[in-house]
Amino acid sequence: MSWCWKGTGVPEAVGVIAAFQTDYRSQHPDVTFVEQAQEAAAGAMAAAGMRPDDIEAVVFSLAPTFFMGVADADRWAIDHVFAAGKPFFRIHTGGATGGSAVHAGYALVRSGMYRTVMIVGAERIGETPDAQHVLNLIFDPFYERDMPLSTNTSVALMATRYMQRHGVTQEDLARVVVRQRRNALRNPHAHLKGEITVADVMASPMIAYPMKLYDICPRSSGSAAMILGNADVIDGFQTRPAFINGIGSVTDTYWIGDRLVPSADAEIAELGLAAVSAAECFRRAGITDPFAEVQVAELYDPYSVVGYLQLEQLGFCATGKAARLEDDGVWDVDGGAVAVNPSGGTLCSNPIAISGLARCIDAANQVMGTAGAMQLPGVHTAVATAVGGIAQFHNMTVFGDDHVEFEES
Amino acid sequence: MIPDVYVLGAALHPANVRLDECRLEELVYRTARAALDDAGVTRRQLDNVTLGASDEVDGRPISSMLLASPAGAYRADETRVSDSGATALCLAVARIASGDFNLGLVASWGKSSKTDPEKVMAARAEPFFTRPLGMNMRVADALFAQAVAHQHGVPEEEAATRAVGAYERAARNPRGVAHPIPSVDEVGASPVEAMPLRAGHRAPLTDGAACLVVASGRWLRRHPGNRPLARVAGVAWASDSYRLDGERLRSMGSARTAWSRALAQAGMTGDALDIVEVESPTSYHEAAYARVFESDGARLSPSGGTFAQNPLVCAGLVNAVEAVLQLSGRAGPVQQPGVRRAAAHSCHGYAQQGNVVVVLEGDGSA
Repeated sequence: MSWCWKGTGVPEAVGVIAAFQTDYRSQHPDVTFVEQAQEAAAGAMAAAGMRPDDIEAVVFSLAPTFFMGVADADRWAIDHVFAAGKPFFRIHTGGATGGSAVHAGYALVRSGMYRTVMIVGAERIGETPDAQHVLNLIFDPFYERDMPLSTNTSVALMATRYMQRHGVTQEDLARVVVRQRRNALRNPHAHLKGEITVADVMASPMIAYPMKLYDICPRSSGSAAMILGNADVIDGFQTRPAFINGIGSVTDTYWIGDRLVPSADAEIAELGLAAVSAAECFRRAGITDPFAEVQVAELYDPYSVVGYLQLEQLGFCATGKAARLEDDGVWDVDGGAVAVNPSGGTLCSNPIAISGLARCIDAANQVMGTAGAMQLPGVHTAVATAVGGIAQFHNMTVFGDDHVEFEES
Repeated sequence: MIPDVYVLGAALHPANVRLDECRLEELVYRTARAALDDAGVTRRQLDNVTLGASDEVDGRPISSMLLASPAGAYRADETRVSDSGATALCLAVARIASGDFNLGLVASWGKSSKTDPEKVMAARAEPFFTRPLGMNMRVADALFAQAVAHQHGVPEEEAATRAVGAYERAARNPRGVAHPIPSVDEVGASPVEAMPLRAGHRAPLTDGAACLVVASGRWLRRHPGNRPLARVAGVAWASDSYRLDGERLRSMGSARTAWSRALAQAGMTGDALDIVEVESPTSYHEAAYARVFESDGARLSPSGGTFAQNPLVCAGLVNAVEAVLQLSGRAGPVQQPGVRRAAAHSCHGYAQQGNVVVVLEGDGSA
């Protein structure tokens, strides 16, 4: 093991060596949290042809532990993910955690600090009696908590505003669900999948107008891991890596009111924040026209409306136009221009602690040609996103089949 | 050689056992503001912010939602580690060294008075075997104290003497809490909390916050008017097994690993360090770390360390700030002469499962 910082001062190329995901289900009663994490870590190492000693540092992806009732449960998992004796820390940025964890692992390799880093995490939110109650606690206790805001109700308010502005209908949102549940049929790990109709979505129970049950992600349990390496490690373990060619991440203000007013820097109902992280991410990756240059977008979309918002803010189409292009089949995996969530996305599986990591894995697999039944032809560039807080944190990662080193301006 | 990463500014919030006059976000804002002012930069110049904070200590899920902006992370690339403030510093150094970032702020805080730390620590225990035993911070620290006392032959008298010495150093530190200084006899007669720990051996928890501004060499070359306070010469962190058995506890494996790797990165031996600020939750910890790091006497925690202030999660970053103050000749009454190289240590988790060491170099102006 080579742990000493090489410190060349030249940023290292960083590539995905291998990844692993379990199936996502409501519960995994056959294993404990730490056994879930171990399954992912061992699975990723097996896929990479690596042994524990080949992993120099470990980043644990874990969102609020209030869901499971074990504080800092990452530490419980240290032995199980083969991290004892190694550099190890936990990243936690709410729903954005998985993407942030990948960015942290990327920094450790790109800086030359470590050659090989594993990002791993597990989630069992399905065992939480009421996740929305826990998520109500993230809001300000004086002004917002009693409204009562939760992720369901706050996204419903965003959707209402967005739909009113752009003439988007509930049926437009339902078409996203139909497409992604169909995509998920090819994903062996997806929690929700199947052939459903717009009418099925419209007939599902109303949770918070306009969000109906089928517009909302499931509470998924499962685990995932990804191994990143520098050029030397890629040479030794992977002939077809997915290079991380760009990262972008941004945090907005906590206060929702400040994101609604005309003077807001980023409008919450449009998820304007995503445009900021995308601009930085694409700049680093040297991408100027995402619609033409990106073949796959794995978007963090726990609600049907969130995919549209990101497609628009990331620059795949103009504001308010994503629904119309959905109607034209532009986001379809078969015959579309940009394949959006071939995995089914977060709408079909949402293990919160690792959802952003899963998006990165599904995007990287498309570039590496290891997406199995989901694999699309000719994927050279794929993007993955993650969103956390109440649309307060957004991050994005560009994966490419060739390394791009964009000169700093 | 480590890529060039520098400390540009540093700040500590005035510590107290209870900071009732300010909300958590005010505590963070004041400290971040002071660090930016110390660095001579503005929030808008930051391209990244790295937080070290715990939801459980802060008493709310995703506490960074509330506290990112007070820490300067408004429309900036912000991330958070939950292990410790010193761990956040390590990640911040990696982010700068990656070449993707140039100017960052590291922030950590702990308002121990607003939570029940023992309950938080009890909730850290896995629910099947350890939690039913009644594990918490006090018991875990006591198990560590037992193990290292046996391993290194630390008598109770030494633990008491070290506690008094730490309180005496802390009393000279204007940034510390003005705890009364007990006598050795008073420490020895204080109540036993969990064998062999007495109340007097334990550093009192306090409220506080710490921030550092870090910059790349590229940024400094473009801003010649900004003078760095210190260079980050080495950072390393490691974690031990979750087990609490004697072998794990007495070996202090992650502490040794972090220490040796940080020094190796810095290209120096421990002898070259002028001061070592150590995070010692109890005086038994100080005794153990003094031996493992081969650092004792005047150069060991001149600030008083955790006996000066001990905010949960961020005590290690407090140590880093104290080290920077020593290197820049601004440590006040606890300033040591001629400090050119300093190390800051942090530990976290059950019985110091995780350890962090940061080695810093000054320009000799101290």
